[in-house]
Amino acid sequence: MAQASALGRPRRVIPGLGLSFTITTSTLAALVLLPLAAMVAMSLSKGLPAFVAALADRRVLAAFRVTILAALGAAVVSAVCGMLLAWVLTRYRFPGRRFIDAAVDLPFALPTAVAGIALTALYAPNGWIGALLEPLGITVAFTPLGIGVALVFVGLPFVVRAVQPILEDLPADEEEAARLLGATRTQIFLRVIMPAAAPALITGFTMAFARGLGEYGSVIFIAGNKPMLSEIVPLLIVIQLDQYNYVGAAAIGTAMLMVSFVMLMVINRLQAWAAAR
Amino acid sequence: MTAAGVPARRSDGALARRLLIGLAVAVAFILLGLPLAIVIVEAFARGAWTYLAALTDQDTLDAIRLTLLVALCSVVVTTVFGVAAAWCIARFEFRGRSLLLTVIDLPFSVSPVIAGLVQVLLFGRRGWLGPFLEAHDIRIVFALPGIVLATVFVTLPFVARELIPLMQEQGAEEEEAALSLGASGWQTFLRVTLPNIRFALLTGVLLANARAMGEFGAVSVVSGHIRGATNTMPLQVEILFNDYQIEAAFAVASVLAMLALVTLGLKLALERKSDTHTHEERPT
Amino acid sequence: MNTATVNAKKIGGSAIEVRAISKRFGDHVALDNVHLDIRPGELVALLGPSGSGKTSLLRIIAGLEAPDSGQIMFGAEDASRRQAGEREVGFVFQHYALFRHMTVFENVAFGLRVVPRARRLARGVIAERVTKLLELVQLGWLADRYPSQLSGGQRQRVALARALAIEPKVLLLDEPFAALDAKVRKELRRWLRALHEEVKLTSVFVTHDQDEALELADRVVVMSAGKVEQIGAPGDVYTAPASAFVHEFLGDTNRLACRVAAGRVLLADGGVLGRAEAPDGEAIAYVRPHELDVVPSADAPAVIHHASTFGPLVRLIVAFGATNLDVAMPVERWVRLGLSVNDRVDLAARYGAVFTDPAGPAARLLPMVPGAPFAAAVRLQGAGRRA
Repeated sequence: MAQASALGRPRRVIPGLGLSFTITTSTLAALVLLPLAAMVAMSLSKGLPAFVAALADRRVLAAFRVTILAALGAAVVSAVCGMLLAWVLTRYRFPGRRFIDAAVDLPFALPTAVAGIALTALYAPNGWIGALLEPLGITVAFTPLGIGVALVFVGLPFVVRAVQPILEDLPADEEEAARLLGATRTQIFLRVIMPAAAPALITGFTMAFARGLGEYGSVIFIAGNKPMLSEIVPLLIVIQLDQYNYVGAAAIGTAMLMVSFVMLMVINRLQAWAAAR
Repeated sequence: MTAAGVPARRSDGALARRLLIGLAVAVAFILLGLPLAIVIVEAFARGAWTYLAALTDQDTLDAIRLTLLVALCSVVVTTVFGVAAAWCIARFEFRGRSLLLTVIDLPFSVSPVIAGLVQVLLFGRRGWLGPFLEAHDIRIVFALPGIVLATVFVTLPFVARELIPLMQEQGAEEEEAALSLGASGWQTFLRVTLPNIRFALLTGVLLANARAMGEFGAVSVVSGHIRGATNTMPLQVEILFNDYQIEAAFAVASVLAMLALVTLGLKLALERKSDTHTHEERPT
Repeated sequence: MNTATVNAKKIGGSAIEVRAISKRFGDHVALDNVHLDIRPGELVALLGPSGSGKTSLLRIIAGLEAPDSGQIMFGAEDASRRQAGEREVGFVFQHYALFRHMTVFENVAFGLRVVPRARRLARGVIAERVTKLLELVQLGWLADRYPSQLSGGQRQRVALARALAIEPKVLLLDEPFAALDAKVRKELRRWLRALHEEVKLTSVFVTHDQDEALELADRVVVMSAGKVEQIGAPGDVYTAPASAFVHEFLGDTNRLACRVAAGRVLLADGGVLGRAEAPDGEAIAYVRPHELDVVPSADAPAVIHHASTFGPLVRLIVAFGATNLDVAMPVERWVRLGLSVNDRVDLAARYGAVFTDPAGPAARLLPMVPGAPFAAAVRLQGAGRRA
């Protein structure tokens, strides 16, 4: 309990701060923070120029470009589809609603490798959906578009689960007030509902985007992994490791970690902003 | 007094309503329904015998066993960590509390590949501890410990994430009451806290387990893909798929998909149970 | 209800006419064939306990609910065919329903900004009108605040300004003061009355608080179980209730089971309560606390149980047989009587209401000796004495 008195108010009623705090922080330190620090250290172990050089590689830059663009595009699609699903699930009662509501969590629960091969089979030129798109000249599998499809699958539940509670708690009387003041349905949606749902929608969008940046399992099967074209950043890490280029892998990992930190800060800011309103 | 709000929703145009429902159902079907359906269809494409043969293949059985072992190890760590983290965050005020909360969430926002990468950088042959481990003949990477460490990294926040909001909402009053009645700390935890959080705890364990069994990216980096030794089920799916043994790949995938469905079903049941539970307790 | 008066009023023109409105929610009958006629410029209160259907009626007038049958007329026009947004109704919600993400100014301007472009006022005109309205509700200085930064009373006034901004033909208010604390409620009530005098807008408000209804409204509509019990000026409904329910709902009262025989009102044990011009038979007598008086008497049947002696009125609880009666008297009289708790007293009713039919009007209960001083009023011969 020495730690307890050092950390905050002394003489508290509830015991166990020392023990629980020790377990929590030592676990985090040993299993999360230390390994991440080891990665950052490794990335800089041959000096800053080597670090920069590892990232400035054309193939690495192309991978970052593809990954960011695909994640961004997928997050936009997820936001639109997720908003639609959240809206319909909260506003309307129809047969199968509960079923769809439960199914929204599927991408959270389905192992990414399973999602990966399923999506590949679906969107391959001879797959159920791929065969329909083929005559239209659209190839999904083994192109950047395939990456996007996989990331939409992965990102969708983030948006739905972020927006749904907000739509559920939206007070009916605000909409009624708008209606009595002469607003049309579109105006009510755009001026009353959307401003209320926007923070949650942006949070969901950002979470889907962040997840998309790091996603691996569901993407590598469908992406085709052509260097410079459809190779994602996490895959490059794997490739560097296979070549025993630890420093290069660590550099890419550190860059991704930095991006994750930025995203995390953005999400926190958004949530604080939404809570303040 | 009256059912407020119902009419506002009812008066949304019937056409728009149907259109939106139709669109949503279509989106759900294409994005969620079809991927699940094709797993089952492809798994049984060559009949039940091929399916069973694929599942009873020795490498696959080894993969299943390893997956269960890895899941068990990492769920234990995740649970102990989650309960401890929830206890100190939801029951105490201290400096750095919100920072701790952010760090707990960190694994969620890091790519799973990085979770694997850091293990290799620490314990791999050319990693920081590589020479030391080699000298003492300890294998971590490309062996069970590495797989478990990578999986723990990824699943660490799951239980804490379920417990913290619940325990914050419940407040410390009941614990304080128990302590004031003379219960010891452990008695208070076991008899007061644990019953109150049991459904959330189970949900967290369930989700952590599903993630542990299904983790691919992190494990793929540290496993080394040694058949019959360091292959988990998701890795087995990958190997079979890349070997063009499509039916076998989908057969293993179908087991994992079933795991996902069972997880979702149990989660739903737990949510409903905890809902009715709280409603019983607070009849307002 | 009063079909004759309804028809008579139609010639003079009414602002809102409620014609035979019925509404059910599942098995619950919210409104049962309700008729109501609201004159231009009038301030009407819909008063009743919760579940009496008053809010449903208000929401139906606004077009927020559709009635199962019946019509709502705005002047000569059937409003039932109009969408809620086209009815030109100002509605103030119980919890104000302010748009949380808009400033006070934007809230008030909302109704003006959603008008189709062709009919929309110019920006400057909108700004001017909003400013004027905010002045009217004395909130000009809060224009840039968000609702979460306002007090309850301020939110209420913003909601009112927002409703008035669209220049509605009618103003509807749902429990406008229910969410406010007692002191603010009282101030705001006066302020709203003054505002009504100023704008003279036909207004209907729902309340469960009889003081609020009686103090504020030109006319009060007392509702119970989906039906209109009585419509009338506050003084009329208070002094001449149309039913036992109305009497009981409007203010504190004591209820005594009794029997009328040859103009005398007798209690169960034969004691005489007073006289009333009512038909013989079982009846219920109501005497309000301030209509009861106590007279010290050592061998009297009633005992003072409790006395709250703060404020201008002293409130007593007097045990009389098995019942407790509320008595209120001016503090001066209490002092003059020199009574204290546990003293024995006689009770005397100055006035009261006797209902031989609970659904019909009351007969006036008077003392046996008209105009007699309280001390000389006939004693209530209670069971307490013999027990």
